[in-house]
Amino acid sequence: MLRCLITLLVLCAAPLQAAELVYRLEPRQIAAGTWLLEGSTDNFSEQNGGDIVNVAFIETSAGVVLIDTGPSRRYGEALRQAIGKVSDKPLVRVLLTHHHPDHVLGNQAFSDVPIAALAGTRELLAEQGDAMAENMYRLVGDWMRGTEVVLPTETLEEGVLEIGDHRLRLLALGGHTGADLAIFDETTGVLFAGDLVFHERALTTPNSPGLDVWLNDLERLQALPWKLVVPGHGPVAGDAAPFAQMRDYLGWLDGLLRDSAARGAEMTEVIAAPIPERFARVSLSRYELTRTVTHLYPRYEREQLPRVDSPAP
Amino acid sequence: MRRTLLGLLFLPCLVLAATSEDPLKSSMWDFHRQRLLGTEPVLFDERVLLEVPPFAEDARQVPIRVDASALAGQVVRMVAWAELNPIPHIFTFHPHSPQVRPMLAIRIRVEQATALRAAVLTRDGVWHVGSARIEAAGGGCTAPSVVRSEPGWEQRLGQVHGARFPRGEVSRLRLRVDHPMDNGLTAGIPEFFLNQAELRDASGKALATLELFPAVAENPTIGLEVGGQEATRLWLRDNNGNEFEANL
Ligand SMILES: [Zn+2]
Repeated sequence: MLRCLITLLVLCAAPLQAAELVYRLEPRQIAAGTWLLEGSTDNFSEQNGGDIVNVAFIETSAGVVLIDTGPSRRYGEALRQAIGKVSDKPLVRVLLTHHHPDHVLGNQAFSDVPIAALAGTRELLAEQGDAMAENMYRLVGDWMRGTEVVLPTETLEEGVLEIGDHRLRLLALGGHTGADLAIFDETTGVLFAGDLVFHERALTTPNSPGLDVWLNDLERLQALPWKLVVPGHGPVAGDAAPFAQMRDYLGWLDGLLRDSAARGAEMTEVIAAPIPERFARVSLSRYELTRTVTHLYPRYEREQLPRVDSPAP
Repeated sequence: MRRTLLGLLFLPCLVLAATSEDPLKSSMWDFHRQRLLGTEPVLFDERVLLEVPPFAEDARQVPIRVDASALAGQVVRMVAWAELNPIPHIFTFHPHSPQVRPMLAIRIRVEQATALRAAVLTRDGVWHVGSARIEAAGGGCTAPSVVRSEPGWEQRLGQVHGARFPRGEVSRLRLRVDHPMDNGLTAGIPEFFLNQAELRDASGKALATLELFPAVAENPTIGLEVGGQEATRLWLRDNNGNEFEANL
């Protein structure tokens, strides 16, 4: 009965909502020539249009460099307008941190600008982009209208990229998706960590090659001489809090999966495992645990299950 | 809030922990009941635990666990199904020996959001039913085979990986069998699935039998519980007559 009520409420609210699918994007300056568009730490919904992601841009002497394009065509267009209000310099380059839909489905609005990414990111987007976009339509609905996958046009490698008066150190990492670009702006000391760092928002694992790989990536990132870290999701920080939280969380996940497999726990039991009190601030941890167990538990199980078949005697 | 509401609604039944009214009020209930349970009386019973995740992150590999330990010693048969699947029936489990606990964990496919049921027949001829609901984007039953896309799968057919985990008075047996479990719903690939398993003691006597249906996921992952530490042997057969055995 309650469900019917909710359906009714949603039906009533729908026409109002449809009238204003507007992303309110207000760039906030976080360092010299550096602006952030901070998304919420919620899940994708028809209310937020997928604006759950951090997008940033840097105004260099040669033009504007954009880092990620957001979850939809509509977002990309709003983003382009928002950048234009802050800087009159031309957009010279888009850098994609990884292939996940909330970071790249705004690409259409920047199809006249070189869009650069790691080779692996291009491959993953070519392979999974359509399915991910379809899923986004299901999750956020009308906000996605007209959104299509646009593949990167340039390939990035680990090294230094100089654009105008900014020296960007590119790191080719992989703990989150197998191809994760982190960008350290040596000129300002801002580290754009992409989704290698989630802050106060549970990390996601659908393409992770393994939590150990991810932990190694974090070690490399934390060792850089950064002054400010911009996570892929959640608030920026001037201290190492996001790193401490990520290590703690990844370590807990890894231990939970390993111990559970060693005890012979079933997947449903791991999904229902208690989440430590200290992660109470981490948004969506229960939801993401269900997903992570689905993604990663089979690998931990495999380590505990040796081959036991033998022909009939 | 919904949970609280439901809790309130069912408060009078908690005393009995069982009711004759479907807690999910599903229109499909009668259809499946007639087909799978026959005419014996039915009780919706909280003592039959049906553990499923709230949503299917991968609709091709959804873990479920049926635990009727609260009815241990009385269980004759356990049946599980997914109401809205094109192939609803998941398994029928017959624990023959009191050594085998009324617990079964398995991974399944779901085609869409659906009610799931686990029915447990006790010696007194009553079905005790546990229910759950799962959200799903769907397509788990009609998705292309993952196993068949992996080179060398034919060579691995019937390989069993497994182990025995002591848990207090019982041992949990967990295993994964390499098999595509083709359900006949993917174009050009006929049904090809494990349909029978038997757990046997050292002398070859059946401790439990398990009938499987192609709602079970590819490379089935199964968990069982037996009392004691004695070695057991698992026998499996598919609908093409291939037989496999493993020590657990
Ligand atoms: Zn991501």
